[in-house]
Amino acid sequence: MATRSARVGDEGPAGGETRRETGVVPIPDSADAPTVTRAPATEEVATRLRSTRSLPAKAAPAGAPARGFRLSRVGIASRATVAALIAAGVLLLPIPLDNVWRSRMALAVIFAVIGLSVNVITGHAGQISLGHQAFVGIGAFMSAYVVARFNFAAGFLAAGLTGAMLALILGLVALRIRGLYLALITLAFGLMAENTIFGIRGFTGGGAGAPAPRPALFQSDLAYVYLCLAVLAASLLVDWRLLRTKAGRAVVALRNDERVAATLGINVTQFKLLAFVVGGFMAGMAGSLFAHWNQFVQAEDFELRRALVWVLMAVVGGLGSRAGIVIGSAFFALFDFVVADIAGGSTWHLPLVGDVLVIILAPLFGAFLLLLTLTLYPGGIGQQLLPVRRWLAGGPFLERAHRPSREKKEERD
Amino acid sequence: MAPVLDVRDLSIRFGGLRALDDVSLDVGEWEIVGLIGPNGAGKTTLFNCLTGIYRPDKGTVKYRAKDITRSATHRRVALGIGRTWQNLGVIRSLTVMENVMTAQHAHVRYGAFSGLLGSPASFLEERELRANAHEILDFLGLLPLAEEPVGGLPYGVQKLCDLAMALATDPDVLLLDEPSSGMGPQEAERLGETLRFLRDSLNLTILMIEHHVPLVVGVCDYVYVLNFGKLLAKGPPSEIQRHPEVVAAYLGEEADAAS
Repeated sequence: MATRSARVGDEGPAGGETRRETGVVPIPDSADAPTVTRAPATEEVATRLRSTRSLPAKAAPAGAPARGFRLSRVGIASRATVAALIAAGVLLLPIPLDNVWRSRMALAVIFAVIGLSVNVITGHAGQISLGHQAFVGIGAFMSAYVVARFNFAAGFLAAGLTGAMLALILGLVALRIRGLYLALITLAFGLMAENTIFGIRGFTGGGAGAPAPRPALFQSDLAYVYLCLAVLAASLLVDWRLLRTKAGRAVVALRNDERVAATLGINVTQFKLLAFVVGGFMAGMAGSLFAHWNQFVQAEDFELRRALVWVLMAVVGGLGSRAGIVIGSAFFALFDFVVADIAGGSTWHLPLVGDVLVIILAPLFGAFLLLLTLTLYPGGIGQQLLPVRRWLAGGPFLERAHRPSREKKEERD
Repeated sequence: MAPVLDVRDLSIRFGGLRALDDVSLDVGEWEIVGLIGPNGAGKTTLFNCLTGIYRPDKGTVKYRAKDITRSATHRRVALGIGRTWQNLGVIRSLTVMENVMTAQHAHVRYGAFSGLLGSPASFLEERELRANAHEILDFLGLLPLAEEPVGGLPYGVQKLCDLAMALATDPDVLLLDEPSSGMGPQEAERLGETLRFLRDSLNLTILMIEHHVPLVVGVCDYVYVLNFGKLLAKGPPSEIQRHPEVVAAYLGEEADAAS
């Protein structure tokens, strides 16, 4: 502590001159230096610490989903059975379907991958992206371009990488711009990509589009559904690992507050860009799947309208909820088809009315669902699925209903 | 031995406002140093300069003789500068446990992408992180609430969670922004004991912004007083308590009238 008194000594008078009167109290030399001995954090230490603080004990059990709830053997078995049934249901579903519905299911799965990619950027990182059609579109065109020259695997990988690269560029913008302005910039970015990159004749075939043949192995609609399901599974896995490792926690922390995140030791720049890259890679892969699903790519497939639907389905599905987003995305992928089926059904086909249904009802319904979600279930489908998820994770299906009354009683006491 | 924190002539202005004007202070090893002053005196601004959220226009910040005036916030955390927030730095949507695991970010060794792809090393280290968080929460008595989302907890507990997060960054010097806010006088007194104890057991150096005078007097080794961005006074708490200008500043009167 000798340095301190020395410095204060020669700095004190100088500081005093600049201020009126005696602004600075010099530290007396007798200022006792703290003589602290190091002690390891032992159990004794911890107990002492706890005793110095009053933690409201009654707050402890509130809201805990699984507290005091123990799984019986039957409980474990029933949960495992239900989980297996869901998995088997999804995996076996394409087999009894006809080719039209297999193809539709593949599209639903592709939409789910896109939904997950929106979720990484907008859900986890909190960066609104209205230019998502650019990432998916560039992936689709890149895949078609590379497949024509090399093979499907190379095209698929190239699609992911270009999607990631484009997202990285947008991410660099997002480092400086936030909120509403970022939304506008992503919007402009998507439109720009639509009108420039997608119009390069040598790359995309211009307005005519480009063929995107499927690889021999996944030629049939059935095989293609399974390819899409495999990509979806990989995306779900990455999303799961993301949230349970340092990268995801960093991304969530910076969504919460960038300055606070930085004081937790997080390199905000790096992890914001990481979110864009991961989301862009997923979107690019989905673009590749989309191109080969249709076996043809054209710029019209990647209009702003599509990007809006993709954001919509992620929000209605529930940002942050994997299962919710998969269901929401599948719903929005299939809804148009179902409406068209019903409107164009041979049994009660009404001219005009049917067309009006398709053109007006579908977008209207999407908007209605969004309103419903924002007002009633801000967590989207994911929020509605919560009891199921809790149950499958080994908790009770419903939270104990008597808890609120007990809390009230405690307050009265 | 160089002081842990050595701040020289720090100045920053926002437009026409001189938020900090030639502020110098130092914090020695194992000291608990108080930073007091009326609202708007620049205390939190000083913290923001120390943690690298603001870049000062002038002056230097040294940490153990290393000039960190221009280094990025996350690098300072890795060096050992931890802080809590007046408005809480907790992530409300995550559980207490997840918050504390997030705060260990700087000490995670596996790479971001290897974690994403589920490398075995990341699984092993995650277990380690959870064990560390477990220890910290046990230390602060938060363990029973570990799996609760922070947003639903009472303010005092959130405050404690914020402290747990600051501790999880494994700090050498801890900057506390009004640790006693939202506490009653008795709790504040106990907090003093807790802080001393944290300092002793975790070998910390503490710089804290605090309004609660008995706490400052009871626990601080040294006190700096800021007023309108300037250092008004400094000294041991017993002297600061009697300092006429400090009394005047706190009562909101003109210093001349008081003296």
